[in-house]
Amino acid sequence: MVDIDLSEPPFSLLDNVQQERVRAGLDLVYFSRDEVILEAGQSGEFVFVIFKGEVAELDPESGPGEARIGHYTKGDLFGAISVLNGSSRYRFVAEQESLCYLMPRELFLSLCDSNPVFAEYFRQRLTEKTRMLAERRSEGGITLAGFMLAKVSECMREPLVVGHTTRIDEAVKTLRDSQADSLLVEEPEGLGMITKTDLLEALVVSGRPPTSAVADIANLRLVAVEQSQYLFEALIEMTRHKVARVVVMQDGALVGVVELTDVLSFFSSRSYVVSLQVEQAQSLQDLSRASQRTPELIQALLAQGVRMRFAMGMLAALNGRIVSKAWDFTMGEQHRQAACLLVMGSEGRGEQMLKTDQDNALILADGHDWSSLREDAQRFTEVLTDLGYPRCPGNIMISNPDWVGTLVQWRQRIRSWVERLDANSLMRLAILLDADGVAGDLRLSAHLRDVLIEETRGNELLLTHFARGVLRFSTPLTLFGTLKKPEHGIDIKKGGIFPIVHGVRTMALERGIRATSTLGRLDALVADGRIERETAEDLGEAHALFSELRLRAQLEARKHGDDASEADDKVVVQKLSSLERDMLREALHIVKEFKARLSHRYHLEYA
Amino acid sequence: MLRALRRVADRRRQANGDYAWLFNPYTGNELVSLDCETTGLDPRTAELVSIAAVRIRDDRVLTSESLDLRLAKPETLTGDSIRIHHLREMDLDDGLDIEEALSQLLDFIGNRPLVGWCIDFDLAILDRYLKAHLGFSLPNAVVDVAQKYRKHMRRSHPELIIQPEFEKVASQLDVPVMGRHTALGDAVTTALMHVRLQAGALLEKSHEPG
Repeated sequence: MVDIDLSEPPFSLLDNVQQERVRAGLDLVYFSRDEVILEAGQSGEFVFVIFKGEVAELDPESGPGEARIGHYTKGDLFGAISVLNGSSRYRFVAEQESLCYLMPRELFLSLCDSNPVFAEYFRQRLTEKTRMLAERRSEGGITLAGFMLAKVSECMREPLVVGHTTRIDEAVKTLRDSQADSLLVEEPEGLGMITKTDLLEALVVSGRPPTSAVADIANLRLVAVEQSQYLFEALIEMTRHKVARVVVMQDGALVGVVELTDVLSFFSSRSYVVSLQVEQAQSLQDLSRASQRTPELIQALLAQGVRMRFAMGMLAALNGRIVSKAWDFTMGEQHRQAACLLVMGSEGRGEQMLKTDQDNALILADGHDWSSLREDAQRFTEVLTDLGYPRCPGNIMISNPDWVGTLVQWRQRIRSWVERLDANSLMRLAILLDADGVAGDLRLSAHLRDVLIEETRGNELLLTHFARGVLRFSTPLTLFGTLKKPEHGIDIKKGGIFPIVHGVRTMALERGIRATSTLGRLDALVADGRIERETAEDLGEAHALFSELRLRAQLEARKHGDDASEADDKVVVQKLSSLERDMLREALHIVKEFKARLSHRYHLEYA
Repeated sequence: MLRALRRVADRRRQANGDYAWLFNPYTGNELVSLDCETTGLDPRTAELVSIAAVRIRDDRVLTSESLDLRLAKPETLTGDSIRIHHLREMDLDDGLDIEEALSQLLDFIGNRPLVGWCIDFDLAILDRYLKAHLGFSLPNAVVDVAQKYRKHMRRSHPELIIQPEFEKVASQLDVPVMGRHTALGDAVTTALMHVRLQAGALLEKSHEPG
């Protein structure tokens, strides 16, 4: 008598017979609050599945703040790794009174033996689990939103119908006039389709005169869909029948034609349209309209199953173009190429989610005379505000003279930051390290990168101070499902994204890497031999997972009309599925290990 | 008293029978939670529909070692009881005959102490069958969870008059009700309640303010 839900991974990977064995083989046990369920070092005799209650995973070796590494709640499974490894690495304690199913070691191992996919689940790294989640999402169709739900009627052309006595040359003319690729012919047997290719072949291959009738050229085997079907289904029909167009019928009557090219451009249209809108913008109003559409674009891309990495790349590219256009509209012709506009922070890394604060700076070419610089910079900041980029609360904008200067001035600034090494200087350095040129003379941006590398190279003291930021925020796992107010969630930005971004930034600083995106830096670090490929992949995947969860929280907040605020960075663990929780936990583990590694490398233990 | 006398008599009579071992005192750390579904509420006439039992070892409910027996259709299976336990005639088509069921049950419970919710009712019916077929009643020690709950409550809240209800007690002890009105579900739920009472769940509760 075991009421257990086996519909989530890993149990969903088992076949019916194996699931029956699970049901028949489980015992139930209560753990009272604060009871140690599994001690570190203890041999793993059972796999636990929580029926109700909350269980914490603690590392007894580490300090009080860092001790907590995992949190498990209803439906979660733990102890499997202990069974596979022979003994438990960490200590599991019931945070609340908990009722757990126990699966004996033997049963678990025999399931692993008889089902390799099930066994693999427990050995998988985050990368694979993410892929699994993405697959499951697309299967489940939870995110099959927006234009995936477009109907045939939204993408249909008026049918071009001609009589079967129409001459070939007339047909060609009709096609040209209506800019179509195909037309329909009314034959005695019914409707037939003629494509441009058909006409060409009739003329060239079969050698028919242009004045002959189109009658027997037409293909009578038409593939039909209905107006109310999903456009996606039309695409599937085309793929299945290897045709490039289908006719749309309603109650037995022809109402339209859907062309493959139309479907494809429809599916990609949003990204296409938004970028086109940006490029074609003739005024700031046009630009503002395009800029407002970026969130829906990102949402649509993600719904389509586009990976986070590419969606972020797309958004970064668009924002870069918008800012660059704004630059051109705002600055006088003679000044545009005499300076380089840098975007910094998450924008510079190409990792911002929705609209972020404007973090920007300006490099001036030597000897350029720009008397109206202050006013122009002020105006530019205002323009960006109008375009939907809020002012930077830290005043890191070109309207602030501290963030404007020639290369020589920048070098002095960097040098003084490196000398001072106080919190403010280190923060400025970190911001500038992520700077990416988007408008004006981009060579200046490359020169600034040279300067940065020259001024910081081989400075171990700087690295130690710089790296310390990684430890600034204690592990979020202490907040993981804080039991009193679980709705407060955990701060994914401070606990997950920041340590990865800053840690990778530190390593990139050490190696003089020019890339500004976290993934780009990781790739460069792998090529440099500083980091193993597997670690880099895990970090990248963890970063993508955090970003996605954060983006989802932000989009959710937008939907409720909340202001962008800190609440957006909170992920409420209880709202995630058990697989997502599992992945989040793993991702936080990766962060924890990365922090330990950085502490060791940059001697932060003694700091 | 009567029960004790009967047990002595049964024991002497069974001394050389197949089930003599049932009368030995139990020394292990297991109990068996027992529940029966029947055709009525009068122990003199109600007939068995199904019997379930699950072992408890220390604080663990061994759902993997459980017994779930369905009996061949009894004569008094009526609409009323069907409504309670959802077992219809067709469900009992392939049920066991009573002798086979009793023998499996005795093998499963052995001389372990029995745990149940208002277990006297179940025992009265089982004993009726046992006496008819094997000539003795169950000699096992018995824990009635409903009684035990009442005792615990009386200790902490002497002013209350307590009529324990299965679902309410389960929720007070924070025990999930598994498949109510299936014999095995009730047996498991009862076992969990027992484990919780043993662990002092009610004492814990009374410490909490409010």
